[in-house]
This record gives sequence, structure tokens and C-alpha cells, in this order.
Amino acid sequence: MLLRGTLVLALIATTTASANAQLIITAPAAPGGGWDQTARVLQRVLAEIEPATSVQVDNIPGAAGTIGLARFVQSERGNPHALLVTGLVMVSGVITNASPVSLSDATPIARLTGETEVIVVPSASPHQTLTDLLDAFKRDPGGVSWGGGSAGGTDDLLVRLLAEQVGLPASRVNYIAFSGGGAALAAVLSGQLTAAVSGYGEFAGQIAAGQLRPLAISAAARVPGINAPTLREAGVALDLANWRAIVAPPGLSDAERDALIARVTRMAGSTAWQQALTLNGWDDLFLPGADFRQFLLAEQARVEAVLRRLAAADTAPSARFTMAVTPTTMPNATVAVFGLLAAALVVSRRRNRAPIAVAASNSRSAAILGVTLLVQPLLMLTAGFIIASTITFVVTANTWRGVRPARAMVARDAAIGVTFAAIIYLVFTSGLGVVLP
Amino acid sequence: MGDLWTGFVVALQPINLLWGLAGVTLGTAVGVLPGIGPALTVALLLPVTYGLDPTAALIMFAGIYYGAMYGGSTTSILLNTPGESATIVTALDGYQMARNGRAGAALATAAIGSFVAGTLATLALSVTAPLMVRLALAFGSAEYFALMVLAFVTVTTVLGGSGARLAGWVSLMLGLVLGSVGIDGLSGQARFTFGIPYLLDGIDPVIVAIGLFAVGETLWVVSRGPDYDHVLPVHGSLWMTREEWRRSWRPWLRGTAIGFPIGALPAGGAELPTLMSYAIEKRLSSRPEEFGHGAIEAVAGPEAANNASAAGTLVPLLTLGLPTSATAAVLLAAFQQFGLQPGPLLFEHEPKLVWGVIASLYVGNAMLLVLNLPLVGLWVKLLSIPRPWLYGGILVVASLGAFSVHRSAGDLLLVAAIGGVGFMLRHINAPVAPVMIGVILGPAAEQHLRRALAISQGDWSVFLAHPLSATLLAVAAVIVLVGLRRPRAVQSNP
Repeated sequence: MLLRGTLVLALIATTTASANAQLIITAPAAPGGGWDQTARVLQRVLAEIEPATSVQVDNIPGAAGTIGLARFVQSERGNPHALLVTGLVMVSGVITNASPVSLSDATPIARLTGETEVIVVPSASPHQTLTDLLDAFKRDPGGVSWGGGSAGGTDDLLVRLLAEQVGLPASRVNYIAFSGGGAALAAVLSGQLTAAVSGYGEFAGQIAAGQLRPLAISAAARVPGINAPTLREAGVALDLANWRAIVAPPGLSDAERDALIARVTRMAGSTAWQQALTLNGWDDLFLPGADFRQFLLAEQARVEAVLRRLAAADTAPSARFTMAVTPTTMPNATVAVFGLLAAALVVSRRRNRAPIAVAASNSRSAAILGVTLLVQPLLMLTAGFIIASTITFVVTANTWRGVRPARAMVARDAAIGVTFAAIIYLVFTSGLGVVLP
Repeated sequence: MGDLWTGFVVALQPINLLWGLAGVTLGTAVGVLPGIGPALTVALLLPVTYGLDPTAALIMFAGIYYGAMYGGSTTSILLNTPGESATIVTALDGYQMARNGRAGAALATAAIGSFVAGTLATLALSVTAPLMVRLALAFGSAEYFALMVLAFVTVTTVLGGSGARLAGWVSLMLGLVLGSVGIDGLSGQARFTFGIPYLLDGIDPVIVAIGLFAVGETLWVVSRGPDYDHVLPVHGSLWMTREEWRRSWRPWLRGTAIGFPIGALPAGGAELPTLMSYAIEKRLSSRPEEFGHGAIEAVAGPEAANNASAAGTLVPLLTLGLPTSATAAVLLAAFQQFGLQPGPLLFEHEPKLVWGVIASLYVGNAMLLVLNLPLVGLWVKLLSIPRPWLYGGILVVASLGAFSVHRSAGDLLLVAAIGGVGFMLRHINAPVAPVMIGVILGPAAEQHLRRALAISQGDWSVFLAHPLSATLLAVAAVIVLVGLRRPRAVQSNP
């Protein structure tokens, strides 16, 4: 049954088998998110207009994309067949995570898409316009709660920049981060939040149904099909798009870079790409080469400025809440309690009884196995999945027996281990498209 | 009901049946493979379904989702290696049942329980969706925090033994510390990361479970020598005995009753109901001493709960456009790819599609039962592999699972290290399960607490001012008081 399932998956998942040129697109996020979708749409469209190229998507999630960025910049240096999907969130992620590698280390190719942000209030809210909301915000900054996606993300940045535009420090915003704009939806619908900010798509259903009132969108110009003024029209000199772009590794020659830009420009003009934009509700913000580099520098500067002012304010002591729970309260408390309890446990154990004695040979077996497991990650990366797994298999089998291993026995274990690992390897790589080393 | 009838007309079209079958088969396979969850599969399949009819594609995706819920329990029970967080609790007693020679019964009660729960919860989905939405919206951060406190209290008092059990509390605190590693979701501040970028995203509960259960157990068994490891051969009926049926049906129903509403909450998830189901079954059981040593209720209840919560997840997804799990988020992306906007208007604009998908869930459940029960015999044969090779296989599968969750060698290192911790905990005779409670519930509870306080601007009285959260907290307080007055006679060590 497992085999049949794998076959079905293999049939659907494998793209055209033979291909001359390879292109790897790194999506620095888990499957399903915006960067991953962008990478997969790119994959599909490129496969359509360049049938000779085989395009692979590689997901390296983590830390707002900065883990993917670091690996991309280090291991793909000088490779003209590699691209990385990036965007505004990575610009702020680099700063908040103090990443040693920044987007300036990569070669800018082109900005591709953007999504406009929207500021909404529940339909029962007294705030009819953005001006109403901002007036209330200026009167009592803490009393207006804003909800949106994760801290340091586009939604957070927009509210902080908005506060600075109306003359309040960014740190006075009562911003409540949720795991995504969608998660903030329930809180704003039920009126727990004064307002919510997210990509338009996340709230589109509720806006169409009249449950949420859009006060303003963050795009520079009106967006067809969205009945809401831009921030500029509403009197705030600010625009912000949740843009996504692609970059190439550092160390490319000018000719290689220009060739990539030309390929992406051709891709962006194709009907397949334009259709994909409409389907996904992405705005076309195509901006190639040198212009994109300029744009990137400007975005880095403004994001960095607001985040620095925010960080500076955070370190200042807050006198307002006497029993405030800060980000460090809980972790420190748990560590303290853990330490106390563990100490108490040690004391009570020492008084009562010694732990059960373990035969020396067996504890040596366990130690050998433990060391093998610690070395395994290294083996996996250098020698590959099959060899690493076979070694783990053989060591486990022999330490379990706890006797000095006979050569014939080890050989038989190794044969079984290799077969087992090889089957798994084949199922995962060619069947499921999951790359194992 | 007329709508549901229309839905069945759509779902029973041969071509849609075929897609449903493809979905549940794939889902089962994917659930059995460690580290490959339904979210990843749906994401991988998204681009290739581009040209399909939306109804067919969504029926297939929903089948994958349900199928994975069925398949996920298999590795938990047979190999002590949970493939995803919803089946972590299943490993506690499921693996012990397998060691006692009742692997077939564990797999069967999981499959039948999933069927019962999936069918009832889908029925509830089609009847009570509008009502559930109102309940979901009544839950704010204060209410979530109160619910988390209640869960903490019920689960810890049951799993960790009564309050006097020091070692259980040490385990719990260790879990809380592990859970707070990474970027704080509310402030973006890094905690306990020691400057290692890999730790910024925190520690995945699945990684902790694989390390504690699969690796920790193997190290322990090896250190005790080959004579320690008594595994009874499979005995008795392949599926369930009359006695096991009698002990299973109530947990199935209770698991469904817990799983569906919590799954329907925008921040409910599948882990919380499995933990609560385990705790409640142990409290209600006439032989709590069996829990942790292979009680069938402890497999039946949580398995029903995780399937029911999967159906519950579809409530906010279809009615609010609100994804509440990784898979739901990918399903949302699937809707959007076809130009559909889930939300209040979807039922009006696309009744055929929505009811077709709901009806296909009924059909899919029946298919899954037919598919999974015959597999039980096949899976059970796995256990007759000689022990050294079985443990070797477990470690290979465990490291594969750990690696493919995020494709990171760091996770492998972490699994080995946590395996060492699990070994130490067994060595000092401390229970392992409370670590999982801390890792799963700790971060969520903290976030809801701080969110509620941020909205109230630091006013702690919100928790008592909201009737719902006040009630939940009062129930939690009663449980603590009762627990203090009447310490359990039998101490457990799961």
C-alpha cells in the first residue's frame, strides 16, 4: 500500500525527466508560505518558457529567511544557476536576528511582486475613517491595540512607521503579534483588537462580506478592485508594500548577472507569469537590475532606522506597568524553578538511595551508541544519508547485543542496513522529491 | 441537509471518488513516513494540480489531510517515533501495547477510533459550523490562557503523578525551558539561543519527542543489556478482543467531544485535545495504574481526539478563511490558487464545492477504514524482526524523521542530545511525558498570557472579568484543590 501511494506520488510529482541545464531556486521558508509559493510559481513558469531547463525548488526555512540567506551566500558563491527568493521580511529579519550575512552580500536580480497591506477595523467600530482611528491613537496610544503578523514583519513595520509619521515614537504602539495576519482575524472580528493590519488577501473575504471595514491600503497608488484609499490619500505620507524579489549569489561576472536579469525579464513578461499574478492576487512590481539595487538600499535604510529606534526604546526602563510580564520574565522564572527543583531532587536522592547500578560493559555500549549518534549529523553531511544510516544501524544492532561483534555478524548487519537505507533514500528522493544528502 | 445531499452528489461522482481515493492513499503513506507531514505533501502537490478542477483537487487534499491523521499513529505505536505532534501522545501507551504483544489492538483501536471520530466530527462540522464560529470568536487571549491553565493542571496532575512527585515537576520545568528557546513570537527577541542562528526558530516538539522516546529508549535498552528487553510476541486476536472493544468505545466518543470543539478554536490545534483526552481517560479509568504501561484507552481517546480536531480545523478555515494548523494554511493556499476566497461568502458563492468537500470527508473516512484495517496485519509482522535490527531500524527511521522535518543536520544533533537527556531522566527514574507537556503547552500559554495583558494594558483583572475565562480558571482551581486533598494512591511513571 505504501508502495502504491509512493508510485502515485512519483507519477504526479516528477517533472520532465531529462534536461540539460539546471536551475536551483532556494525558498528560505517552509513549504506553503509566500516565499515558497513564489518559488514554485517561478519553477512552473520557467519550466513552461524554457523547456530545456530543469528547475528545482529547495526549502531552507528558519529565522525570517536569514538561515537560508546565509547558506545561499556561502555555498552558492559564483554559481550562475542559483536564485534565492527574498523580500521585505528578510530585510528586517537580518536586523532583528543580528544576522552576519545581509542582502547586500547577494547580487540583486529583480523585484517581482508585492502585496498591499490593509488597515481594518470591525464593522461595528466607531472609527469610520483612518483619521478617526489616528485621532484616537494620538489621544491614547496604549488604548488602541493593533494586531497583525509576527514581530518585525511587514504588518509590525507598517504600524511603527505610521506612528512615526503622525508624530508618536514607534515604541508607543501597542502592537500585538500573532502567528500571522489570519490568526489576528478572529481577535479583530470579535472586537478585542481596535484595528488589524495584514496583507489584503488575508482579510479580503471578511471585507467583501462587510464584517471588516478597510480604512486604508499601504500601496503607493489605488489598487483596482479594492475600495479603500491609500495612506497618502488619507493624509499620511507613507507607502509600504510586502514585496518579494529574487537575488543571485555573490561573485558573478557582469555577463552572468546580466544574463540572469535578461532571463527573469523575459519570464516576467510572459503570459503564464501574468496569469499567475492575477490568480495569487499579487501586484506586478517588476523592477530589474540597478533600479532594484537602489530600491533595496532605500528599504534597508528605512527599516533599519525604525527598528533601531524601537530597540533603543525597549532597553529604556518602563515605569508604567508594575507587574509587567516582559519577554524575559517567563524563561528566567522557569529556569530558576527548574534549577531549584533539580537541586532539591539531587539532595533528596542522595539522602535516600543510590541510582541503580549498571553493568560496566552495558554502560560502555550505551556510551558508544551515544557518541555514534552525535557524530551522525556530520557523517550525514559529508558521507551522505546511506552511509551514515548504515553505520548507525550496525552500531545499534551490535551495541544492543552487548557482546564483542563477530565479523560475519557485522557484515550481515551492514548488508541489511545498506538495503534498508537505500530503499528509504530512493523513496524519499525520487518518489517524494525530498532531497537527502 | 439539502446542501449536504448536493454535496454527496458531487463527492460520489466516479472521478471525484478516484481523487479522494488517491488522496487518502497518499495521506496514509505520508503519515506513515516519518518527517513528511500532510502540510509538506499538499505543498509539494500544489503546483501540479494547477490544471485540475478545483473540486477534485480540494477533495484530494482533504483526503491527504485525513489520511495522514490515520497513518501518523502507525510509527508512534510500532517504533515509538511520532511523525507529527498530533500523535506524540499515542506513542506513550501505544508503543507499550506493542511491547505487550497487542500492537494489532493498538493499531485497530486507533483506526476505528479515527473513523468514529472523523465521521462524527464531520457530521458536527456540517450541522454546527455557524455555531462553532460564534464560540470561536468568543475566545480571546484571556480565554485561551485560562484554557491552557486548565489543560496544564489536568494533564500535569495526571501525567506527572500528584504534586509531591518532585521528579515529574523537574521534567515539566525542563520542557518549559526547552519550549522557550528561540525567537519570542511577541517581541521578536531571541531567548536561550546563545548566538546560534539554528536555535532562533525554537525546538520543534516532534524533535523533542523523537529524541526522548525513540533515541532515549534505545539508549536505555542498550545500557541494560539484551536480557532486559522483554517484548511479548503478538498474542490474542489480531484486531481487538471483546474486552478491548468494551474499553475503547467510550474513549472514542469522549475524544471526539474534546477534539472537535478545540480543533475548531482558532488557536486550538491538535496537540492540546490529545493531551486532555489522555488525562481525562486516566482520571475516569478504573485502572489508572495501567496508563503508561499499555492501556488501550490511552490510545483510543487521543487518536479519536486528533482526528476530530482535524475536522474541527475545517470550521474556521471554511467559514472564516482562518487557517489554524500548518496543513490548514496550505489548504488555504490551495483555495487561493484556484481563485477561491474561503470566508463567510464561500458557502454562498460555491455551495457545490464546499459541500462536495465536506461530503467527500465522509466518503474518505469510510475508504480509510477499509484501507487501514487490513494493513494492521502487515504492520504487526514488522515486530517479528529480530530485536537488534528492529532497534537499528528505529534509530535510522528516527534520524530520518528528525532530518526531514526541517532538512537540517542541527535537528539530528539535537535529537541525539535530547536522547541523552531522555536516558538521564530514565536513569534517575523521572517520568518523560511531562517534558512533552512543557514543550507543547508552555509557549502557547505564555503567548496568550502576554497578549491578553497587552490588550488590557497590563490589567490582570481581565482573566476574571471575562465570564468564560473566569469559569475555566475556577474549574482549574477546583482540580488543584481536589488533587491536593486526595493524593493518588497509585503513582505512575509513564
